[in-house]
Formats: sequence, structure tokens, C-alpha cells
Amino acid sequence: MSHSKVDPITLSVVRGVLETTQREMTLTLEQTARSSVFNLAHDYSTALFNATPEMILQGQDIPIHLGSLIPAMKSVAKYFEGDIHDGDLILHNDPEYGGSHIIDTCMYYPVFYQGELVFWTVCKGHLTDIGGPVPAGYNPAATEIYAEGLRIPPLKLWDRGKPRNDVINLLLSNMRARRDQQGDFNALIGACKVGARALIALMDKYGKDMVQTCIAELLNMAEAHMRSLIAKVPDGTYTGTAILEDAGHGFGDFDITATVTITGDSCHIAIQSPPQIPYFINSYEGNSHSGVYLGLMMFAQLPPPYNEGLYRCVSTDMGPKGTLCNAKSPAPHMNCTTTPMETLTDAVRLAFEQAAPDKVSASWGHANGCNIAGWDKRHDEEYVTMVLASIISGAGATANQDGWHACGPECCFGALTSGDIEMLEHSYPIIIHRYSLMEDSGGAGRNRGGSGTCWEVEPLDTPMTLITFGEGRRIPAMGAAGAKSAMVAPKVGSLELTRNGKTEVITNNVIETIHPGERAANRNPGGGGFGLAFQRDIARVVDDVRNRLVSEKGARLDYGVVFANFAALEVDHQATAALRATAA
Amino acid sequence: MQNQYRLGIDAGGTFTDFILADRKGDVRIFKALSTPQDPTLAIRNGLKLIEEETGISATEIVSNADLCINGTTVGLNALIQHKGAKAGLIATKGHEDSIEIRLGHKEDGYRYDPEYPPATMLVPRYLRRGVSERVISTGAVHTSMNEEDVREACRHFLREGVDSVAISFVWSVLHPDHELRAAEIVREMMPHVRLTVGSQLYPQVREYTRTSTAIVNAYLAPILTRYVEAVDGYFRSLGAKNPVRYFQSNGGLAVGSVVSDQSVYAINSGPASAPQAALYIAEPWGLKNIITVDMGGTSFDITLTRDGRANVSKNIDFLRYRIGIPMIQVETLGAGGGSIGWIDAMGLMQMGPQSAGSEPGPAAYDQGGTQPTTTDANLVLGYINPDGLVGGRLPLNTQKAREAIKARIADPLGLSVEKAAYGMFNIVNNNMVNAIRRVSVERGYDPRDFVLNCAGGATGAHITALAREMGITRVLISKLASGLCAYGQIISDVKYNYMAPAPIRLDGVGAAQRLDGLFAGLETKGVADLTRDGFTQDRISIRRSLDMRYVGQVHECTVEIDPFALTDDALTKLIDAFHARHEELYTYSERQSVVEIVNVESAIWGRVDRPNRMSVAPGKGAASALEGTRPMIFDAGALAQDVPVYAGARLGAGDKITGPAVIEEITTTLVIEPNWQAELHESGVYLVDMIGA
Repeated sequence: MSHSKVDPITLSVVRGVLETTQREMTLTLEQTARSSVFNLAHDYSTALFNATPEMILQGQDIPIHLGSLIPAMKSVAKYFEGDIHDGDLILHNDPEYGGSHIIDTCMYYPVFYQGELVFWTVCKGHLTDIGGPVPAGYNPAATEIYAEGLRIPPLKLWDRGKPRNDVINLLLSNMRARRDQQGDFNALIGACKVGARALIALMDKYGKDMVQTCIAELLNMAEAHMRSLIAKVPDGTYTGTAILEDAGHGFGDFDITATVTITGDSCHIAIQSPPQIPYFINSYEGNSHSGVYLGLMMFAQLPPPYNEGLYRCVSTDMGPKGTLCNAKSPAPHMNCTTTPMETLTDAVRLAFEQAAPDKVSASWGHANGCNIAGWDKRHDEEYVTMVLASIISGAGATANQDGWHACGPECCFGALTSGDIEMLEHSYPIIIHRYSLMEDSGGAGRNRGGSGTCWEVEPLDTPMTLITFGEGRRIPAMGAAGAKSAMVAPKVGSLELTRNGKTEVITNNVIETIHPGERAANRNPGGGGFGLAFQRDIARVVDDVRNRLVSEKGARLDYGVVFANFAALEVDHQATAALRATAA
Repeated sequence: MQNQYRLGIDAGGTFTDFILADRKGDVRIFKALSTPQDPTLAIRNGLKLIEEETGISATEIVSNADLCINGTTVGLNALIQHKGAKAGLIATKGHEDSIEIRLGHKEDGYRYDPEYPPATMLVPRYLRRGVSERVISTGAVHTSMNEEDVREACRHFLREGVDSVAISFVWSVLHPDHELRAAEIVREMMPHVRLTVGSQLYPQVREYTRTSTAIVNAYLAPILTRYVEAVDGYFRSLGAKNPVRYFQSNGGLAVGSVVSDQSVYAINSGPASAPQAALYIAEPWGLKNIITVDMGGTSFDITLTRDGRANVSKNIDFLRYRIGIPMIQVETLGAGGGSIGWIDAMGLMQMGPQSAGSEPGPAAYDQGGTQPTTTDANLVLGYINPDGLVGGRLPLNTQKAREAIKARIADPLGLSVEKAAYGMFNIVNNNMVNAIRRVSVERGYDPRDFVLNCAGGATGAHITALAREMGITRVLISKLASGLCAYGQIISDVKYNYMAPAPIRLDGVGAAQRLDGLFAGLETKGVADLTRDGFTQDRISIRRSLDMRYVGQVHECTVEIDPFALTDDALTKLIDAFHARHEELYTYSERQSVVEIVNVESAIWGRVDRPNRMSVAPGKGAASALEGTRPMIFDAGALAQDVPVYAGARLGAGDKITGPAVIEEITTTLVIEPNWQAELHESGVYLVDMIGA
């Protein structure tokens, strides 16, 4: 137990106010943003930084953003060092300055108090478009970042309280569905200001010095907490290698390896990945931080609040510049927040599983989704969006329970929401024919992985461009503690196109035109299981069969459970025991 | 009030509160233990208790009462304990799972928690059946309904012994025919089940919300139907003149048949009457901006009225289930007298949400509890009387309270017991303040523009401290504060909500006319319902609300208006009101952007006469009510001072008390902090003002 240097009561109070502040920022974004990626899907994050700048509170938002805001904020502050004024507002998306992918747009708002820079309120959110040749930014044909969209290094959007309308106009003129992008800009700015308002009130009440002292202590406490968790892991070097499947680039599968070295109460995480490739799955260093930190959190499983103190005892090495997980310009990168991020996360998770075998969760299903774009005849206007409902995968099982259904993908960890289907059909000219769980999609295990989903769409009355991204269409989500599935096919993702009565299964990332009357069904993988599947309680298998989460065949192949009378769900206990014995 | 009595009965988690008002202006409060296994038993027990204390029998009260009103937790308890009916869902094929996908979301705060389970499915997957049919976003039929699919679902439900069925199809709100035809088939094949039809129960756009609301309704309907039959029957047997009125989460009364059919409206009825009670209490001062806080043993409920109207929530997760219907916004926090103080993994002191409950209860109850609670801290600080709560029926052990605080908080943090206790008091208050922000600041309201109203038995010890923290300078505390919700129920009106989907962009011609037509349709039906219920035209009032947003947003701002004719001109003003509200909430508006409407609703009230107000005789000065002094702590330095204690029952109208002081009422203790002054008003309400504010 660490004894605080400050009054423990004020400390708890300040902590509560910081969390409330961040929550109010998040609500502002959610309730005002235009793009469904923001407002339906919560694909945004908010954070508070001190003047250093160190992250003093990270919202409980998308883990994808968890790490990359830290280097991004530092880059931005450094870029404008000596030139930061009250009323400035900085925009940035460039991965060379710590950004994740350019469609994730960040706003940084310096909070001044009595003439001094004290805090930053920061928001990051996924726009529906960032310009470039392909709607929604994901361009599987891009061989350079220039073919993906607008790249914005740190840029003052407001200068001492005045919006730079010419600059804003230049940016928006280069984006599709301008109304939505403009609305999202406003939402981000509004959220930053809501945060600043609350922080100033906090300093008015307790004084700037007391607030800063408390924050310093909160950072120290988070550090101590993470150190205590790492200290419990035996010293040593642990490695995990995950396979990144070839989703269309033709260079074959790649290995991504994480090496975790534990020394006392600190750890070093080193990543090894192949050289960068001319395909949109390269990850710049800022983004890779997010993958590493998520893998770490799948081990640490900490409750909130989250601040940068957690990572003080963690050092990282993303590998040589110019590799897949430490890309350099002009590598194309748009898919990086899911691919290769999720495989990178798996590698780190797996390394920690070697270190703490009973603690680490199984992998979640990877994102394999689509963006859509076209013309909305109902309102005679352009539309473009990422469809978050199309990336909802199953969660990984844990030592204690089955994985959540329809909660992934791994990079979002349950933080995003897929949106109401009537709201989606209201906003875009589409018909969603199916949004369902899928039989046998959860990874087999003593605790089963969560079910993946199928999202099936038909354009209402005009042709629709459909662009797919991600992977997880051949390799299922990784189990933990020995969990393996015998039936792999239902556990991975795919795109099924039905035209003229014929169905084509696509496992590469593609750009397709879908006409009214044709359908595209996007399947997302289930989560990984935990523990040996043949040890799963028979009653729980039967319950899954009753609910059609597991088929008769799945019960037999994945779980070694045989039915005497399937219609009545009567188990043949003798045959089951015999079958299960074969695996022992 | 034409008859002798009005009776309000509010069932809470621990106590069932009874408020008996008579024509003379005598208003009394009684408490009986709640009986969750047989909720009508607590009603019988309470009426017996009233007879013992007043000599008036249950028959005499009920047969001479103009109204008997009941707020019930039957639905709430069934949902908390997952003890609802075995229900089935008939959905559009391909969308049977939306209820289990839950928009793909996991709640904040639990993201990395490996132990946090998914919400229990009220209707498991094997009881959800798809039907081939489809309506699209324009309201057109894309695929007509396959009736055989409905019949097959019924046969399956019959085999499985389902006793309640929900039907919810995609876009049924724009074209209800498929749902209505499916309902006919279900009634024909399963005449004995309760039936919930999504487009009838909750005719608003949003499939997930509508289906979820329908499922919660189906899950609760058989249980509430049985309850209403039992209560109605009991009161009829006592000679009730009028049907029992039930209190709903929308803040109004309903007859039993409405509660049976639309059970979801009864789900959180208790605290929903607080805004009504608050307005009534504040009426003598003309106050209309009021935040009411209600602290019980385990939870803390906050409600708010602004300009005399309660905050309303729609489309929220309630106990992890999405519910669409308008409910009085009640922000609930796990903070009460039983909230446990602890030190988290990072080393920070926390209060709650875990509670010691009533068994073992706070350490001071001396029933084996060793965890320090809010009550223990308040005892150590001297705020509450060691002779005990509830009129001395439950003595408190200060030594046990000190030991628990020392072992779990003071020693680990290196503080004195007194400082630790003051810290616990402060942290629980701050948790409450942060929760109050959710109903005020997050809604664009500055809490300093409000008065704070005290409800519930445990709140009085915290009320001036909370006001101080929020920057609020005026506090109201009724002598009936501990039964405030039951009090609110007996002064409430009948209220029903009528809704329609209205996905309309406000940039073309004819929008105003369409909206006006929609409202007129809703209100014709509403007025007819209330007329049938015995209300004359002059007692019926209407309030409209429109869910508005900028095109492309998905969350709406609800804008409320009076039922004036919606001309193009009026619509322009309405849009202006929306821009202003958006700015209030989010710091900006977009005057150039197109606004759209998604859903509309009319709330329709039938006015019920109020009982006479409580009345207190003039006082002879506070000194005559002085009981003595107790050492108390009012600052972080933890220095005790001797503070006067007054007996509330001996104070009269006009008596003034300057803090620091404590006023002990029979069912609650009021702490008046330094720099506050209380004055008892003839209506039985303490008006407490910050001195010099």
C-alpha cells in the first residue's frame, strides 16, 4: 500500500472530477457527431493531458486509440513549442506525427489558466471520409500513403480564438459528404471545449497547484499498480508469434513476434515484423503502441482510471524503421488499426500467456468489414460510411466465463456499438437483411468464445460501392490455455456476394459494385475459447445446442458430445465419454 | 379532495411507506417492512399498523378515501432477480438476434473485467423465432408476411410452455399491418398468453429499442397482471369507491388495466414521483428549478425539474435492458447509508457501490458487520444519534463504527479515525455530486440555478454538505422527507404517453402540416382515453415533444412545446429553440444545417384534485425544542465542537435554527452545517439558506 504524499480525500475527489470531465467530453462527441462511425459506433476517444504533456486520463474508449494519443500529443506539442496560445486549436492526423491512420482525426485544445498552459483536452475520432481516390479512405490498391487521403501534420485550425475558415474550407472541400465531416469537426471542437470548461472549474475550486499535485500522485499510483502486477510475473523472456494472414496482397502470410522481457517490476516489449509492403496494412509507430498496450491490458485486466503512469515501467521497441509494425513514409497504412494491429496484439497477448498462463484472455475475433458509398436518391445526396455493424466479432473467453457474443473486434474490445438497423437504413439507402449471430462461430474451449455475426446488405435503389478491409477469413481467433477448435470454417470471416442466384465467397480485400437485387453478406469471426474444449461441462454444451449456437456436428467435433436423441437434446453419455477419452 | 382520506402506498426495497392525508390537512407517514415475496402482504401489514396507531380501520380509510394510490417495485424486482415470465419473441427473419447482439457493445467501466458477464437474456435464443416479412425505410412492403412462419413459431412456443409473447418487426412503426396480422394469429393459436406488439407499445423509430422494450414488457406483463388483480381485489373488498391508481415511471398515475398491458411503464415508479413532490413542496416559494436527492440504505436517486418540468429520459439502458418509453429521469448511484468504504488496488479511498445492506448492515448496527459504512462515518462525526434511528428502535454502537473505520481506512492511510470518517463523508458526497452533474451539467443546466430538495431517510445528514459542494445556496427539507415518494404519488395526476414515428426533414414544404396532423391524431386518442376514464375537458392538458437533430446525427435533443397549431412560422421558432438547446448542451450550434425530426410524442394528463397541504402550528422559538448538545466534526481538521440538537416534533412554524445544528425528526436526521440557517415553514418544510448567499 502506497502512502500518498497528498491528502487522500482531495485526491479521490480530483480523480472523480477528472473522470466526470472526460465522460462529459465523450457524451458531447457521441450526441453531436454526424458520421455513424462516431455517433453510432463510438469510434472515438477522449483524453486529458497535463502541460508536460503526459496523459492524465484516458477515456474508457477504443483501445485502438489507447496508446497512439500519447506519442501524438507529444509530437504536436513539440511541433508548436513556444507558439501555443490561449484559444488555439490544433488538428492533426498524420501517422508520421504519432497518429494512427489518417481517417482518425485528432483535435488538441490547450487549456490556459491564469495565463499559463496547464492542460490539454484531446479528442480523436474516425471520420467517414478523408478525401483521396476511394470513398471512406480504405484503398486496397494504394501502394503509398498519398493514394489514401489527406495527410494533415499538426495544423492550427483556430488561432487565438479565431477559426481559420480558409484552412477549414480547404480541408472540407477535399472530403466527401462534406456536411458530415463538418459536423464531426464541430463535435470534436465542442468536446474539447466542454472538457476545458470542467477543468477550469476544478482549478477554480481547489487551486491549480493542488490539482496538479493530485494528478502527479495519480500518475505515481497507476505506475505503482502496474509495477506490482508485473513484479508477480517471474523474471524472464517470453515470446509469442502470431500469423498475419495474406488478405489479398499476394506476399503470403507473415509472422509477427513479440518478445516480453520481465525484470523485476518492469518489462520491455520488443516487436519483430517483416519489411513494410506496398499494401494498406503497414502500421506506423504510434499505432503500434496501441497494439502493444492492448496486449498488455489483456494480461493486466485493470479497472479504470487509465493514465500514462501505467506505462512508465513498460519500454517498447517496435523493430527497425521500415518494417510492418514500424512503418516509414510513404507506406500505405489505412487498414493498420485493425490489420496488423490485432495480430500484433495477439503476439503480445501470447507472450504474456507464456508468462502468466491462467490469467490472460483468449483472442477476440479480428475485424473483417466493409465501407459503403454511393448516391442517396431519397435526398439526392452523396453518402459514405464505414459499416461498424459489419465488424462485430465474438469476444475471447476468459478463465472464468464464455466470451461475449458480438462484442469485438479485438481492437475495439466492446467499446464500439454497431448502431440501430433502422437508423442505418434511415441514414443510408440500404436494406439490411440479416444481422445475426452464427452457429458454431465461437471458438471451442472449456469456456467458449463468443459468437461472431453476419451482416447482409442490399442497396435500396442505386448501385453501391462496397470496399472490404481486415482479415480473419482463414485463421480463427487464437484460443488460450490449450483451447482449439476442430471445426474451423464457421469460425472465420468472409464476404459472400449473391448475384443472379449465384453466391461467390470472397476472402480478399476488394472493391465491388453491388446493384439493387444483389446481396453482400459479411461474416465476422467468433472469439477464441479458453481451456480444453472436451472438458466443457456437458450441460453447457447442450444449452448452446438448444440455442443453436452450436450444431449437432459442432457438439461432436468441437466438444466431444454425442446425442442419443437430437430432437429431444438427450445426450448419449456413454458415447460422449468414449469420444472425450480419445482426446485425453 | 371530496372525501375524508387519500392514501398513498409506495413500496421500496426495505420499507413500504404509507402517507395518509385527511381533509383537515393532517398528513401522516407510516412505515412497514416490505415483503417482496408477497407484495400485498406489506399493504395489509401497513394498514394494520395505521389502525394500531390511529384507531382508524383499513375499511374505514379505504371506503372513505377518494383515491388509493400504489407505487410498486414488483416489476423492478422481477427484472433485477430475472424472475419474469417465460416469454417468446416473433421477429423479422434475420433479426432475431438484435436483442442479444445489443448493438455489439460492452458497458463502460468493465472493458477489461474478465468476470463481467453478458446481460442475462430475458428471451433466450431458442425462444426467438423469425418470420419472413420485410418493410423498408420508406414504409413500403419489400416482402409480404409468411403467415405459416407465425404459426410455426406459435406451435414451438406452445411446446415450450411460453406464457407471454412479444412481436416486433423491422420498420413496423411505418407499416404495422404485419405485426397486427401476426398478433391475430397468436391470439387465435395461443388465446391464453399475454401479447405485446412492438408498434403498439412503443411506436417509435429504432428497432433494437422497440424490440427490447417489447421484450421487457412481455417478461413483466403476467406478473404485474397478477399483482394488479390481487391489489384491486383487496381494495374492492375493503369497499374502495374508485379503482386503485398505480404510479408509473413516466411520473403519472394509471389504472390497473394499463399497468397489466403496458407493464414496462411500471418499472421504476417509486422515485419517479419525486419531481412532483418537489414542486408541491416548493410551491409556497414559487420555486420551479429543483434537484431532489433521495438517499436510502443502498442507493442514491437524483431527479430534476426545470421551469416546473421533470427531466425525462427515453431510450436508456435500465438494469442493462434498453427501454424506450419516456421515464422520469432518475439517476441512481450505489451510495447510501450502507455504502462500504474501501481502498482500491491503486491505493485510493473509495465509497461503495458495494453496500453492507441491512444484514449485516453498518458496523455500528453490531450485527457482525466489520466493514465501515457511510452510517458509521456519520456516527463518528456525531451527526446521527447513537441512541439510534427510527425513533430509537435501532441503537447504534459507536465503538464498533470506530473500530471498522480504524482497521479498514484510518490505519492503512495513516489518518486518525476522525479524519478518516470525515474523508468517507466527503468522498460519498463527491460521488453524489458527480452523479448530480449527470442530471444537471450533462443536460446543459447549471446546478447553481437550482434549489436542493431532500428525500429519503439517510439524506438529511448530507444535504447541506451536498448543497455546499454544488454551489447551491437553498435547501428544502420536508418533515415527510423520508416518505417523499409516497407523498408525491398522492398529489400526482393521471398521465399517458402517445407516440408516433416521424422521420421528417424540416427543409421542405408541408412538414408543419404533417406534424400537426400526427399530433392531432395522437391527442384525439389520448383525450378519448381520459374522457372514458372520467376526466372532463377542463381537466385534460397536453404537452408535446419532438426528438430533433441535425441531419446525420443519431442522438436527438428532445424539444418540448405546448399544443399550439404547427404553422410554418411556428416551425421556424421550433428550429430556433433546437439550435439554442444544442448550444446550451454542447457549446455550439449549426444554424445553417438542416434539422430533422425522428419521433414525436404527446404526454396527456388528467388533473386530479390535490389533498390539503400539511399545516404546522406557529412555534414558540427554537429554544423550546433544544434537546442538548453533541460533539460533532465539520471540517477536515477533524476538531470536534459541541453542537445543539433539536427535536423536530417540538418546533413550530417560524422557528429558526442557525448551524451548526442537528434537527432530529422521527424518521430522519437533518444536519445544518455552519453558515446555514433553517426555518420551519407552516407547510411542514424546513427552508434552509446559506447565510450571506
